[in-house]
Amino acid sequence: MSALAVRAPRRIRFGRGALLAVYTVIIVVPLAVVVFGSFKSQQQLFANPYLPTLSPALSNYRSALLAQGLGRALLNSAVVTVSGVVLTLVLASLAAFAVARTRGWVSAGIFGVLVVGMAVPAQANMIPQRVLFERIGLLDALLGLVVINVTVTLPIATFILAGFMKTLPAELYEASSLDGAGNLRTFLSIVMPLSAPSLAATTIFLFVIQWNDLLYPLLLIQSPDKKTLPLALLNFQGEFLTNYPLLFTGVILSSLPLVVAYVLLQRQFVAGITAGAGK
Amino acid sequence: MARRRSPSAPARSIYLFPLPALAVFAFFFAMPTVQAFQYAVTDWDGFSVDFNSVGLANFTRVVGGDSLFANAAVNNAKFLLVVVVVQTAMSLLLALGLLRNSGRSVALRALFFFPAILSSVSVAFVWKFVYDPTYGIGNSVLGAGSRLLNAFGADVAPLQLSFLGDDRTAIYWVAMAQCWAHIGQMMVVYVAGLQAIPGEIYEAADVDGASPLRKFAYITWPLVAPATAIVVAYTTIQSFKAFDLILGLSGTPPKGSLDTLSTRIYTTFANSQYGYAAAESILFMALIGVVTIVQRGALRIIPQSDR
Amino acid sequence: MTGTTPETPPALTRRRLLGLAGAVGLGALTAACAGPGGSKSQASAPATGSAEGKVSFAHWRAEDKAAFDTLIAKFTAATPGVTVTQDITPSNDYQSQALNRLKGGSVGDAFPTFRGAQFEQFVKAGVYTDLSGSDLLASYEPALLAAGKQGGKQWGLPYQVVFPMPVANTDALDKAGVSGLPKDWDGFLSLCDKIKSAGLIPLAWPGGEVGNAGQLFNSMVMNNQPADDTCAQIEQGKAKVTDDWFLTTLKQYKQLTPYFQDNSTGTAVEPTQQLFATGKAAMLATGSYHIAAVRALGATFGMDLVAPITTEAGKARYQGTYNATFILGVNSASKVQPAATAWLKFLSDKANAATYADTTVQHLTVADVDYTNKDLKQLAPWLTKKTLLAPRFQFLNLDIRNAVEGACISVVGGAAPEAAAQKAQQVIDERI
Repeated sequence: MSALAVRAPRRIRFGRGALLAVYTVIIVVPLAVVVFGSFKSQQQLFANPYLPTLSPALSNYRSALLAQGLGRALLNSAVVTVSGVVLTLVLASLAAFAVARTRGWVSAGIFGVLVVGMAVPAQANMIPQRVLFERIGLLDALLGLVVINVTVTLPIATFILAGFMKTLPAELYEASSLDGAGNLRTFLSIVMPLSAPSLAATTIFLFVIQWNDLLYPLLLIQSPDKKTLPLALLNFQGEFLTNYPLLFTGVILSSLPLVVAYVLLQRQFVAGITAGAGK
Repeated sequence: MARRRSPSAPARSIYLFPLPALAVFAFFFAMPTVQAFQYAVTDWDGFSVDFNSVGLANFTRVVGGDSLFANAAVNNAKFLLVVVVVQTAMSLLLALGLLRNSGRSVALRALFFFPAILSSVSVAFVWKFVYDPTYGIGNSVLGAGSRLLNAFGADVAPLQLSFLGDDRTAIYWVAMAQCWAHIGQMMVVYVAGLQAIPGEIYEAADVDGASPLRKFAYITWPLVAPATAIVVAYTTIQSFKAFDLILGLSGTPPKGSLDTLSTRIYTTFANSQYGYAAAESILFMALIGVVTIVQRGALRIIPQSDR
Repeated sequence: MTGTTPETPPALTRRRLLGLAGAVGLGALTAACAGPGGSKSQASAPATGSAEGKVSFAHWRAEDKAAFDTLIAKFTAATPGVTVTQDITPSNDYQSQALNRLKGGSVGDAFPTFRGAQFEQFVKAGVYTDLSGSDLLASYEPALLAAGKQGGKQWGLPYQVVFPMPVANTDALDKAGVSGLPKDWDGFLSLCDKIKSAGLIPLAWPGGEVGNAGQLFNSMVMNNQPADDTCAQIEQGKAKVTDDWFLTTLKQYKQLTPYFQDNSTGTAVEPTQQLFATGKAAMLATGSYHIAAVRALGATFGMDLVAPITTEAGKARYQGTYNATFILGVNSASKVQPAATAWLKFLSDKANAATYADTTVQHLTVADVDYTNKDLKQLAPWLTKKTLLAPRFQFLNLDIRNAVEGACISVVGGAAPEAAAQKAQQVIDERI
């Protein structure tokens, strides 16, 4: 029986309930403003931000989808993000396995290199990277975005996966090597399945980061038909104006795929954890 | 040739595993970083043909003679401290509250995670609206709160803040927005860590008659230490990189009270001072490195469970 | 975690060293490839020839997209063989990224720049072609082309004229009993008093946003500063913000504080527009470029410009300020220069310019434009009044501009003028 079935004393339950209620309000109210706001005009939004309008208009959605080219951007984002996430996971899990399995300065070395990678800010590399991409012909190409996304998110992915893989007991590997399995087999048939929860969590992190990235598309993409969603969303903003309702609409449209993906993955994620805890 | 190897040591082929990742990293990341060093010892403006080599002049200027950089560093420190503490504490609390996999818990977890899905610019626009002193949610709630207190007999002046317009506290309000966006994300990490704790340990503690506080201090907190380490480290790096959020809330360039190191470097780029900006970013990198090392040392002090 | 660490085999150490050496060598090689330094481009007039091809028109005005679409349709109908696509980025990003994106020539065959730092940058980088002596110039008011000149050559065509002065609700002013424009500082303060007594906010000021808050700066210094290029002098170190005239300006900001809306230092621009459009504020402290937005928010009242005159009557050199921006040019790296030039020629035609002006409610530098929009007509007299080219755009270094304007904002927030000025001067000194 897991600890999860034990009921806490009444005082704690009340405290927990209050905390959850308050935090729910803190999350929901701004989001409600965004959702309701997408159906309003700017004046309606300023006049009454909290409640839904009695005369909702779809003009913002029409404008966003048709006039602003969000459809094409959605496709681009999907292609770039899916390929990027898959590639990152492959490379990162291989590297994380090595970090977890080796000792001493090899492990620390790889790990340290990648952690430094997490710490280097985008501004430091931005211009040299752009020049490099130009030289090798990856400028203004979706492939270029995939490459830079993989490069930039490799460190954090390795960090998370290695953190998890290090918790796997040494006996696991002893048993495996006694079975005569080489590194690759151990990796594929034992470590990866066990790392499923960690992989799921990492996938979510990576997906969100790569989907919402703005800096690199802005830096590298020039043709309108290669823009990703965040970049297309920025077009809603003019020189001295911000059309809040239209922006909110764009936010909703561009977040919807992510929310759907999360909901689907989330259930598997939780199922994996409870199955593991039940063993 | 056959060395006696401990049974748990991996075969030699393990060294091939990190190679693809390292290759990508070396070519597309490490090398441009080297170039940043090249830029940093010049006064290149980003587009001219000519530039001069200035040695370490850029670096000495960043450390000693740039009050805007110092201001950004102080802001960054304030921001970092508040975000790490609030985000870690809140995400742990929420994870504890939503441990069970009941339908309601799962739904709430999904809800709390949601802001992490939004791009930072979106979060910035939401909170820009919240913090508006005239029409925003913040002052509206504060005003209602004051009126409520007055209805109960208190005599409080209606509280209205300028939020981002108050130079002393502006950075803390930005920190709040950052926390709002990422608490749910860190909560997911904690849920995974907490659910990995076997229930038998708690049952044993209950048999011993332990109070909830003792259970937390002696079981939960030590066993969730790996998750805490991940949360603290990730939050730290994330808040150093908070960039879109600040620009969205403050515009380019941000005003002094909201300027942090990442935006400071970007502004320097925008001012066509690539050489100087590269020097700033190298020192920025060093600073992050120092903070990370200090943090790892500090986290080791947290008792780990090894029984 | 238990277990002893096995010794690293010597072979591996050697391999690692080789790998490191290889990486360093490779690094050095590529560092040489993508290091600092650029490629020189010649300054020359745009290429001539038949206009054909795809023209990429890069700019930052998303709110003008529809207007340009209309004009593009008309242009392509008249010029078969040429297509024009708009490439719009937000103004902040355009300011910081445009140079990198445009200098390769694949984007922005025709493009504008902001007056000030960006224009200088583009000229220095050789992105503009030389338009001196081009027949395009004939369509413009000669006096207004100054912002596009440098080193004696005409590089770009400033297209838009905006007045970064407070916009006033004339109906509200009438109701409050205000008659005529203020002629001195006391006059302006009493104007604000009258409005306040009528129960309205005199001046809605977006102190929370640097870009828009600074527009008021133009009017506040135009008559206080010793010379028209004092701002440029501040940046060169020849003048200081701790000088008397600037301290006077800061004190005047302090006097204005009770006439701004509450918590003005935290207010963004959209809410101030809302206050103004709903009639709660009588004046909007940004500029004529917001008139279209305010109308879109439903405002139907009459509008005009009111500049605070910060000196005594008779001593005021200027009645207001203007800015000529959106400086159009042909990209020297463009492969379709004749087509790009044809597009600019189309925009310079006064009939087309009128279409753009009326749709986007902006004045233009094109000569003899017949404005049909009511507001443009109302404000047209300002084109011939004694106005100063907005001084804040003389600041080429954003940090310095921010420091100077930031001093004004902090004074409104409660700081002492002398202290604020000193803090700003320190930042400036570090950057000269």
